[in-house]
Amino acid sequence: MAVGGRVLQAAGVASAGRLARVHAWWEQEHVFGYGLILPAFVLIGCLVAYPFGMALYFSLSDYWVGSPGQFVGLGNYREILGNEVFRQTVANSFLFTAIALTGKTVLGVWLALLLARNLRGKRLLRGAVLLPWVIPTALSTLGWGWMFDSLYSVVNWTGIHLGLIAPPGPNWLGMPNYAMAAVIIVNIWRGLPFFAITVLAGLVSIPREYYEAAEVDGASSFGRFRYVTLPLLKPVLAVVILFSTIFTFNDFNIVYVLTRGGPVNTTHLFATYAYQIGLQGGNLGQGAAISLFMLPTLGLVVFFQLRYIRKE
Amino acid sequence: MSASVNRRHFLRASSIGAGVGLAWLAGGRAPAFAQKRELTFLSWNHFVPAADDELRKQAEAFAKQANCSVRVDTMAHLQMPAKIAAEAQSQAGHDMFRTASADTFLYESLLVSLDDVVDKLGKQGGGWYPFAAEMNQTKSGWKGVPWFWVSFPGTYNMAHFKKAGFEHPPKTWDELLRQGKVLKKQGNPVGIPISHCSDAHSTYWSVAWSNGAKVLEADGKTPGIVSDKTAQVIEWYKELFKDAMDPEVLSWDDAGNNRFILSGKGSWIHNPISPYNAALKEKMPIADDINHHNSPAGPAGTHSAPPILGIGIWKFSKNADLAKEFIQFLFRKENYDAWIVASNAFNHPPLRHLADHPIWAKNPKFAMLPKEAEFAHPRGWPGKPSDAVQRIDDNYVMADMVAKAIGGMPTKRAMEWCQDQIARAVKGQLKVG
Repeated sequence: MAVGGRVLQAAGVASAGRLARVHAWWEQEHVFGYGLILPAFVLIGCLVAYPFGMALYFSLSDYWVGSPGQFVGLGNYREILGNEVFRQTVANSFLFTAIALTGKTVLGVWLALLLARNLRGKRLLRGAVLLPWVIPTALSTLGWGWMFDSLYSVVNWTGIHLGLIAPPGPNWLGMPNYAMAAVIIVNIWRGLPFFAITVLAGLVSIPREYYEAAEVDGASSFGRFRYVTLPLLKPVLAVVILFSTIFTFNDFNIVYVLTRGGPVNTTHLFATYAYQIGLQGGNLGQGAAISLFMLPTLGLVVFFQLRYIRKE
Repeated sequence: MSASVNRRHFLRASSIGAGVGLAWLAGGRAPAFAQKRELTFLSWNHFVPAADDELRKQAEAFAKQANCSVRVDTMAHLQMPAKIAAEAQSQAGHDMFRTASADTFLYESLLVSLDDVVDKLGKQGGGWYPFAAEMNQTKSGWKGVPWFWVSFPGTYNMAHFKKAGFEHPPKTWDELLRQGKVLKKQGNPVGIPISHCSDAHSTYWSVAWSNGAKVLEADGKTPGIVSDKTAQVIEWYKELFKDAMDPEVLSWDDAGNNRFILSGKGSWIHNPISPYNAALKEKMPIADDINHHNSPAGPAGTHSAPPILGIGIWKFSKNADLAKEFIQFLFRKENYDAWIVASNAFNHPPLRHLADHPIWAKNPKFAMLPKEAEFAHPRGWPGKPSDAVQRIDDNYVMADMVAKAIGGMPTKRAMEWCQDQIARAVKGQLKVG
């Protein structure tokens, strides 16, 4: 494929000298290949690796907005561990991720099974299901904010009129447990389409023959789900859960718009608390330490899940 | 046409494009067609939008006069701290910005000294109110020009009070508690936010000072929260929450109390006059029922912590002199007066002479507002304002302390928790200069 200067000369084409040599060098397989991936590499370097490196450096230094600090080692990490609000944030994040992820997995598989059926208007339905995923989160969360509003809550209004809730109804964003439930509900609502559509893609790739064979063997619908669908969905589910764990742990918009971490810090997640300390309070060092605190744990989760996926 | 030719053409074109782009970036300057002098100003989305319209109008007038262009960008007030921090960190962005809380202390070393402008304006305008001056006067000079402050009076529904048999709105916080109990039984509770919003702290400082409680000692460093006075304040909040308010105050954002009084349900809130202005603008009948009164007093007198806003100029700005001229232009009496009118008395002048404005007398519901200046303090008082005070406010620690106590935590334990959070905020105090 590569066309060098000598070949050009032999073919009677006049050599352009230096330019031709550059051409020849450029067209070598290994140079050209790396050349093609260079732009993507530079982009990742600038937009991912550099900020990550800076965040790591900030977390190890006494760095304030606009005033470079000194290296303090793990001082920031020790400081945040001693802070009760941070410890509460850690507990909130695990609770939030565990419940939201379970909800999304169960409901996502269920929704995917429904969407896989031959219903009328199937395409329209599949498109509509994606809406929560497509609408900008900040915008849809504002809508949820109104639904959970203390004065004008449509959730309470409906519940009261259906006789399900005793008036005046719960104060969704003002009581710790309800506030956590509210942010989890919105997170599940938003993340569900990602689960459902990805699982649906996995479902349609399962050959019909397996189901037919199972039916012949007398398997019930639950049996077919348990022994055919679920095992064959495992690799897809593992990838979706992996991605969703990371997204859910790092959620920011929903909590920031709905509760700003309140009431009494009971809905703060790593991202919202890091924002409060690092950007609003100007303590970039501690803010970075808060946001990077989960990195080793998440790294391990990713490592084991990827290993499991490769094995499967 | 072969694939290799396509590829080459593509690569050549993209390389040339990238090269030109990089050269432009490396040059670090805009191309010649964009080189007209442009002054940029970052401000907030004013709670009375007409005030922003007037500001832009004045910016245009200044641009014509100074033969430049002026761009006024506005954004939600809660997003401003992050935006300002990003500009400070990247040393790029707007030439000047609206400062709030202790921004001038937080960014002291990054802001242009404005001693000359402040001195000139102060002499012309009969002097600055001390609370407005303190918020901008750092150890290394004036790092902001006090722009305006926002009074924080009591706002009440006259019809609800009359129905409950009260002749007048509460003069003291204890009277508010007594009246609130009756008003809640009537179906019209009172409301003070106890949540992660700035109004929650505006009221807390006021209640605490009026009861002789402190957050920080006079040295500005020693936490002063654990005291009998604070315990009394917490007990007062607990009783008010239980007998005079609805639990919704635990979830309010800064607009929560506005919605509460405008809905017709609420009878009293502690807030700037924005709900009344909104009711007037939207021609809501409730505007007739809403009135204002001076912030309530306590055993230690009347004290309030109104939001105090200023204007700062970044050192990285290449238009610092132009920005100073623009600030002085905004403070011309005719311009400042027009701006007060546009805000319908929401913006209060930090200069004594500018406070003499017919708008306060025009509407009896505004008549008491200028008096609020007499008992206003910067947050952190009796200590000086500092970046530590801003961190205390940003982390809503007093609101959380009260909410914890309401949630069942023993008062002493809640105060100790708050004291720990305040100590952390102080520990992170930046070295001045």
